[in-house]
Amino acid sequence: MFRKKQGIREGSPLADAFIYIAAGLICLLTVYPMYYVLIRSVSSPEHALAGDMFLLPKGFDLTSYRIIFADATMWRAYGNTLLYVVCTTLLMLLFCTLCAYPLCIPTLRGKKILIPYLLIPMYFSGGLIPTFLVMNRLGLYNNIWAVILPGSLSIWNIILVRTYFSSIPETLRESAEIDGASHFTIMTRIYLPLAKPILAVVTIYTIVITWNSWFNALVYLPDTQLQPLQLYLRRVLVENTVDLTKLPMNEVAEAVRRALSGIQMKYAMIIFTTLPVLFAYPFFQKHFIKGMMVGSLKG
Amino acid sequence: MKRLSLKPGAARPGQRLRRENRELYLIMAPVLVMVFIFFYLPMFGVVIAFQDYTPGDPFFSLDGTSRWVGLRHFKALFSSIYFPRLLRNTVTLSVMNILCGFWVPIVFALLLNEILHLRYKKTVQTASYMPYFISMVVAAGMVISFIERDGLVNKLIGLFGGDPISFRTDPKWFPVIYTVTNIWKTFGWNSILYLSSMASIDPALYESARIAGASRFQQAIHITLPMIAPTIAIMLIFAVGDIMTSNTDLILLMYNSATMRTADVFGTYIYREGLLTGKTSLGTAIGLFASTVNFILVFIANKCSNKISGNGLF
Repeated sequence: MFRKKQGIREGSPLADAFIYIAAGLICLLTVYPMYYVLIRSVSSPEHALAGDMFLLPKGFDLTSYRIIFADATMWRAYGNTLLYVVCTTLLMLLFCTLCAYPLCIPTLRGKKILIPYLLIPMYFSGGLIPTFLVMNRLGLYNNIWAVILPGSLSIWNIILVRTYFSSIPETLRESAEIDGASHFTIMTRIYLPLAKPILAVVTIYTIVITWNSWFNALVYLPDTQLQPLQLYLRRVLVENTVDLTKLPMNEVAEAVRRALSGIQMKYAMIIFTTLPVLFAYPFFQKHFIKGMMVGSLKG
Repeated sequence: MKRLSLKPGAARPGQRLRRENRELYLIMAPVLVMVFIFFYLPMFGVVIAFQDYTPGDPFFSLDGTSRWVGLRHFKALFSSIYFPRLLRNTVTLSVMNILCGFWVPIVFALLLNEILHLRYKKTVQTASYMPYFISMVVAAGMVISFIERDGLVNKLIGLFGGDPISFRTDPKWFPVIYTVTNIWKTFGWNSILYLSSMASIDPALYESARIAGASRFQQAIHITLPMIAPTIAIMLIFAVGDIMTSNTDLILLMYNSATMRTADVFGTYIYREGLLTGKTSLGTAIGLFASTVNFILVFIANKCSNKISGNGLF
């Protein structure tokens, strides 16, 4: 497709140069803030405090990372986030499959009611306060399920999976039915293995969204022992209620310890907690985009 | 659950269908119940906007313990001294976001569409999504540290000989910072949709335009842009339908008592008054008001779009 275009759409070299340079500049501008955080976090403490590096780190020092690495509260929050990500993702896959399979069976009765029943929540919601009251009533306040259960329920993803299921040839199901298989068997033995590509998309979506989510935890999890990484980061970066320079630094020389600035510690924390997602995203962006396409075509 | 059905033909078709349906509904049941609990119960809960609700009461009670107060909370909201400020801030932030931010992904997609070197195109595109994957908390934390008096932005201003500005505490800068952060975070991601609809344009159109002597810029304006107009219309309707919502998450992280005058929006007010202070009925009333206005706006935008371009959401 693009190769064909190439023949048709070549323009003046000047316009080409302009377009390439403009796109490159936008790209640099977008990435620069993160890059600046990175170079400031690895510069030597006195330069990091001054913050006068713009292109390359000045000096090199990883003490701030060593200290953060020993931060028990951060690891606790990391662990919570991992737990929430794993539970939410597994439940999401389960719920999507369970709801999507019956919806793609042509003989299912009551579709006229079922489809609106599922679509209405995409457009209307009770809002923050009624949702909070319901959750409270269910005893989910200060309970980890308050972030896991709602996070694992997505009508959007159910539609994605259903769309994919519908593209599986019906003859496959019919022949299994003739062999005497129940719907549950057909779902788990035939549809589930065939739906791996779309389930991969749902998995990646759920992981990233859960990893980055913070508001539900803010509302439902007042107990700091249960809070995910993002809420710990909020206390460090936004509220400034956690001072990273006060972390225990046993093995660090007194001189370095005095020079370490709060800002460098914060930037090291940003890099340390964001890097896993940033490193992974070029690899899974293809799935992300695929999911967006399927959704926009059929949704 | 794992139950083999009888051989086909052994039961009458009607019976088999009924048994099949029962099994299918059993499979779906957990999800249907959860949807009811987590999505529908809160929707019914909206009725407390018309009550004097005390947390712990049921939303409806048939024995008459619900104290119905009609539109009192709405009247209190409209006559409150905060209402004009909340409305002004919400609308200002959303409209600024649309005016300054809506066209950015479109222009960026047009630009990328002209890049024929595939590797370069892919690299630029990948870089442009990056902010979307950074969590809101980290993004807000980064921006806050950049706009401090001795932060990156003031350092850059200093390099060009300007005086430092107190972005963090000056209310008039908040809308600018909010808008820039929003654009930075979403433009690359939002351009994907436009790029994909550009990819489906028939190359023959460009060919005939070229034969007719159209320049590349003319082709972009007269072929690419009209061909993606339906996508643009739908995205614009969505954006208009979000005017009363704004990006509450981001504001909640970035505002402070000094910038409240321009930063406080309906969403943040609901969080503070409804949740932290416990005025549940008032908070629900504000939420209901905001979503009703959003709904009306979507409806109007859709009508206009249908009239002007013939494309709409419904």
